[in-house]
Amino acid sequence: MVLLSTAFVHLMTMAAFWSGPHNTQFNPFLGFDALSQLVLTITSVLFFIIAIYLCGFLKEKGRSNNVLIACLLCLLSSMTLVALSRHMGLLWIAIEATALLCAPLINYYRTPQGIEATWKYLLISSLGIAFSLLGTLFLAVSATTLKTVFLPDILNNAVFLSPSWLKLSIIFLLVGYGTKMGLAPMHTWKPDAYGEAPGPMGALMSGAISSVVFLAVFRVCQITFHAHLQAFISPVLILLGILSLGLAAIFIMNQKDFNRMLAYSSIEHMGILVLGIGLGGGAVWASIFHLINNAFAKGLIFLVAGNLFQVFHTKKIADIQGVMHKLPLTGAFLIVGFIVLSGFPPFGIFYSELLILKQALVTHQYMAVFFYCLFLAVIFFGFSKVILNMALGTPSEHVAKSTKKDDFLMTMPLVILTVILLGTGVFVWASLYHFIDEASMLLGG
Amino acid sequence: MWLEVVLIIIVFLSVAILGNSRLKTIIQLFALQSVVLSTTPLLIYPSFHAIIIAIVIAILKGVLMPVLLFWAIRHVSIRREVQPLIGYATTLLLGGVLIGVAFLISSKLDLPDKGISNLLVPCAFSVIMIGFLLLVSRFKAITQIIGYLVMENGIFLFALLLLEKTPLLVEMGILLDIFVGVLVMGIVVNHINQEFGSASTINLINLRE
Repeated sequence: MVLLSTAFVHLMTMAAFWSGPHNTQFNPFLGFDALSQLVLTITSVLFFIIAIYLCGFLKEKGRSNNVLIACLLCLLSSMTLVALSRHMGLLWIAIEATALLCAPLINYYRTPQGIEATWKYLLISSLGIAFSLLGTLFLAVSATTLKTVFLPDILNNAVFLSPSWLKLSIIFLLVGYGTKMGLAPMHTWKPDAYGEAPGPMGALMSGAISSVVFLAVFRVCQITFHAHLQAFISPVLILLGILSLGLAAIFIMNQKDFNRMLAYSSIEHMGILVLGIGLGGGAVWASIFHLINNAFAKGLIFLVAGNLFQVFHTKKIADIQGVMHKLPLTGAFLIVGFIVLSGFPPFGIFYSELLILKQALVTHQYMAVFFYCLFLAVIFFGFSKVILNMALGTPSEHVAKSTKKDDFLMTMPLVILTVILLGTGVFVWASLYHFIDEASMLLGG
Repeated sequence: MWLEVVLIIIVFLSVAILGNSRLKTIIQLFALQSVVLSTTPLLIYPSFHAIIIAIVIAILKGVLMPVLLFWAIRHVSIRREVQPLIGYATTLLLGGVLIGVAFLISSKLDLPDKGISNLLVPCAFSVIMIGFLLLVSRFKAITQIIGYLVMENGIFLFALLLLEKTPLLVEMGILLDIFVGVLVMGIVVNHINQEFGSASTINLINLRE
């Protein structure tokens, strides 16, 4: 109850921000521009929906959830802090806080596998955090003449930063925040963590936290672009994006665990986001558009995964069959989630993927184009094979006996998410359109 | 003059940690390193701010953290590192190479602030890299945590370069976060112990492709 009301208050506050001007500075440390407002909105809406879902999800467990709820609320506040911070040090602190607060969420079921996933997650993400701290320090060294690391100051004086230290700092920041975001060479915690976390926590991590960390990566790119180092960072970003896509393509084929497959899909979409920024120009717009749609689509499909786990008590793809037959509503949303995530025409992800492809063609990045198309096709194939098998097919004996039906509290959020996806993807709201325009201007899009 | 001596002691201590197999000794060496580290802010900028930072570091990293780690190894009752991924002699050799690399890199970078000893940056890099090496080459959860802490010591050494410029808030945040991180790790180590019977990450191999 506390969770739901806090989420509601947060959402209302967020809505109040929308009516105000798009650039506000509360004090030197806090403020927002178009992109952070967008990210904050995603986080807030998604959190609210997940809070509704959790009311149904937690009801069935006969245990105290106080720690979990406290963690979720702290997570919400630290995500808000990431979105609002205008100081690279504060940004780092907030991201570290989100990283730590995720650990209890992953370890929710307290199984040996859960502990293993949590340990790997903690170790790898704390390394990432250490690298990004080092990057922040390098940034401060390169800005010794300014004596601050406030974002506006750095952006306005980016040309005067010492280039060698700045380059070092960019690399460390990219590796550090890239680890947290789950980009290809540093992704290893992601399948384990998402695989073991319960559905709604996976939704929160892949939808909200990834978006928030993407904001941090975006800030790094912003600094780089203002310092006229595009030529330095673009190939790195493109390489990271293509690597993530390729890796996701390899592991999505023949994946046996549903949640792990979704984790690889998340790696794929993070790759597309980074690729978009790397290509620059119109692709930045596409990236931000993709960010919004991906966050809500991931929320949708992870909540579906949560529903499936509650009924089938397994994450093995082979054991989940005939969802349409057993849970007609959840099954329908499973198909919707699949259509959105794999980039079918009516939804937004198709459009953003197409725009990124176009930008790659325009800038003559033919290698990137080739691999991009190849990997997307492979991912689509692997994904559709699995999901269609799960949705159609006939349910096995013991599952057919259980009398569980679609729960109202646990299907409501799915309906809301689908409506939002229609609003952000198919009939793009005019105000949203202008907002993305304004946000992509930050990176010269 | 004194600063250089202290910096070299810090690097030597991290090499000593690298070459040791008894966990108790490793933790003691780490505590010693942290105490030595806490004197560096005083040597660079003798001011009120520096005194506070020195005291906080000495208490947090020199006393609290080792106590926590000792409590953890008593709980888990392990004394030695199991066979490491890379042998001790090889890790020591690699450590030496890394120190060389650190000096090489720092000679390429131009320091904006010439006032402080020019040993500071290479020493910080060496400690960071040795901590990283410790983290990736050992199996015991505790040794990995110590590797992480050594790395954090190196990062702190580097941050000293900026003591004048970044506000206190950031530094406190850094310290607090490290502390919470280890605390959470400690709790997980406990869980690892309960579920698997030993706090060795070799057993964590169930989740694979």
